[in-house]
Amino acid sequence: MDNAISHVLDTIDIETYIICKDADEGKNLAMQLGHEMNLGNVDVMYSEFDGYGVRVRIRKYVYKPGDKYLWMEK
Amino acid sequence: MMAKKILCVPLDPVHDVGIKIIRAELDKNGFITELLSPDLSVHEIIKKAASRQYDFILVSRTLGYGVAELLASFIDQLDAAGIREKSKVVIGGKAITPQLAAELGFDKGFDEHSTIEELIAYLNGSEINFKSSGINRCKKDISADHAYKFFDKEVEKLLNQIADKLLLFVKDKTTPGVERAKIRREIIHSGSTDSRKKLVKKYIELCDAVIVKSYSDNQFPLAVRRISESEITSLKKFLSEKNPIHSRKIQHNEHQPLVFKFLGSGCPMMDIVHGKICERSGINGFLIINPSWEARYEGLLDGLLTHQNDGTITSFGNIKLIRDSLDKSTLLTVRAHRGLNTPETIVLAGEAGADLTKINLVYGALGAGTDPLRLAVDGIEAIKLAAEYKMPFDIPGNDELSGVPAWKTLAGLLINVMIGLKLNAKPVLKPLFCYGPHIVINKLMSENYIDYNAAKIAALKNIVDAPIWPGEPIAFMTQTEDRVQSANSTSYHAALAAGIGVDAITIASTDEAYSRGPISVSSRLDSIHAAADGFNFMGNSKFSTTSNFELYTEMIQQKIKDILRTAASKDNLPEAIYDGVLGSKADGAYPGKFGLNTVAKK
Repeated sequence: MDNAISHVLDTIDIETYIICKDADEGKNLAMQLGHEMNLGNVDVMYSEFDGYGVRVRIRKYVYKPGDKYLWMEK
Repeated sequence: MMAKKILCVPLDPVHDVGIKIIRAELDKNGFITELLSPDLSVHEIIKKAASRQYDFILVSRTLGYGVAELLASFIDQLDAAGIREKSKVVIGGKAITPQLAAELGFDKGFDEHSTIEELIAYLNGSEINFKSSGINRCKKDISADHAYKFFDKEVEKLLNQIADKLLLFVKDKTTPGVERAKIRREIIHSGSTDSRKKLVKKYIELCDAVIVKSYSDNQFPLAVRRISESEITSLKKFLSEKNPIHSRKIQHNEHQPLVFKFLGSGCPMMDIVHGKICERSGINGFLIINPSWEARYEGLLDGLLTHQNDGTITSFGNIKLIRDSLDKSTLLTVRAHRGLNTPETIVLAGEAGADLTKINLVYGALGAGTDPLRLAVDGIEAIKLAAEYKMPFDIPGNDELSGVPAWKTLAGLLINVMIGLKLNAKPVLKPLFCYGPHIVINKLMSENYIDYNAAKIAALKNIVDAPIWPGEPIAFMTQTEDRVQSANSTSYHAALAAGIGVDAITIASTDEAYSRGPISVSSRLDSIHAAADGFNFMGNSKFSTTSNFELYTEMIQQKIKDILRTAASKDNLPEAIYDGVLGSKADGAYPGKFGLNTVAKK
């Protein structure tokens, strides 16, 4: 079975809530989460610290425009 | 043929709304139905099913904890009672999938996205062939329902003066952009390789060095690369193997506006795949947005080209590839008014089969960087070409985003309308639904987002009967990086547009405010669904405005007149722009410098 991630059209967005002590820690944990999920470097698109933690939206660009798209060749 | 008998079973202790709706549709379509009450035991249902000859037993149930076991037991008892020998058993409901239905022993399963047409086709012994369902709609002409009649005669008179002076002023002038457009048209129609070579040589004499290199040495700027033949083959194969199913409409009724989206990822292939997915969800048209660096160079690149930067490169090959790949009913707009290639862009768009284009002589010279005199000459030629190619042109009021007050922007839009009408073109007004700097500073939308946006549209409607297409996109500067907030904002503004009665809108994506990466298709779909919900919410109703709406409408209309009086007192439109009449340095608008001193006598 070929890998599912190569079928992703462009991005994987993950939205979650991370308990942390401040906004910076929240962002760092969000980026660390990307690595722990084997996504490598992710962008933190949105992050709001509310005293308890951060609501975050992180994004992995699987393909950027101009790349060679494997889903098109399958 | 005998009408089929259906037993409708809400296998649920309380809920029977879904099956009631389905039953009503089946009755309308000639089936004989019976509906059981929702509180019966499985034993009672089996007894009822055995009492008559039903062709189908239609079960409605949302999947939850333990429900799969209940359904399996239900099927076993139907089997044991011999009912399945005479009746087919069908299930539908939330979280039910056709695969799960088959595993549980049902003859057929329908999920929450299934349509009544699919169910009826199945009951009648046929299946809908979704592969051939396509987009199923007609292309619409945005300008068709408008007579371009001016209701405000003073405004009409002032606009006539401004437009006549400008047309006379540019009559004996030309630019490298105007000349290149003529050559480009000849290149496209050139028959032989020799004549093409000669024309290209003539063309590159009028281009900047960075563009010349792409023709002479195949060297492209800023990591631009040619799309390979194998990529095009893969794209065509991909498109031939995929077809839209369950095509949707965004509009809730035929009076609601068309909905457009931007394309301009940098890669036409990615644009096309995004476009196809958005078409299926009901998007009526797209605007191709080009890279900002194109604006400052004389000349355009040629061929099928891609790059990893914002904006899809303007070339005949790219526009034609996108046009040919989209559904015939989908409208395609190409932005032309930025920079030094305005007339040539119209030629490329027209020859490639685009439906609309985008030209604003004022905004292009104030917010988009082109010298006002250069754009006046290029813009007039571009509007003439748009008329020739029968492409309506929209006039975006994006100078408001620099801080220009709405009335100055709208005055600029109206000047473009009159110029367009004098050149037999079809202009489209594109005021912004935005939270621009002038609005923020003057607290014009601090109470609500309805009055001021609605007042802009009302002021324009009081002046002229022309198509109105708020953009660009609607909700500009109201959206944050929060996905839900962004979708909501699109939805509310779409609903407002529907309630006011406009011809089209452009919507953003839910990653619009995230400016550090390309737009994703999921974010595009978020905002499409949001707009559809907004339209559905509004139907034919309207928002209620406060007393500020009338005050704003009157103020905007009056100030438009004041601006036009001042503009009409100037020798020509470029002078009015240089003098800040339509947006001053104090407002945050500066006359552009691309193409300064490039206008020549013919």
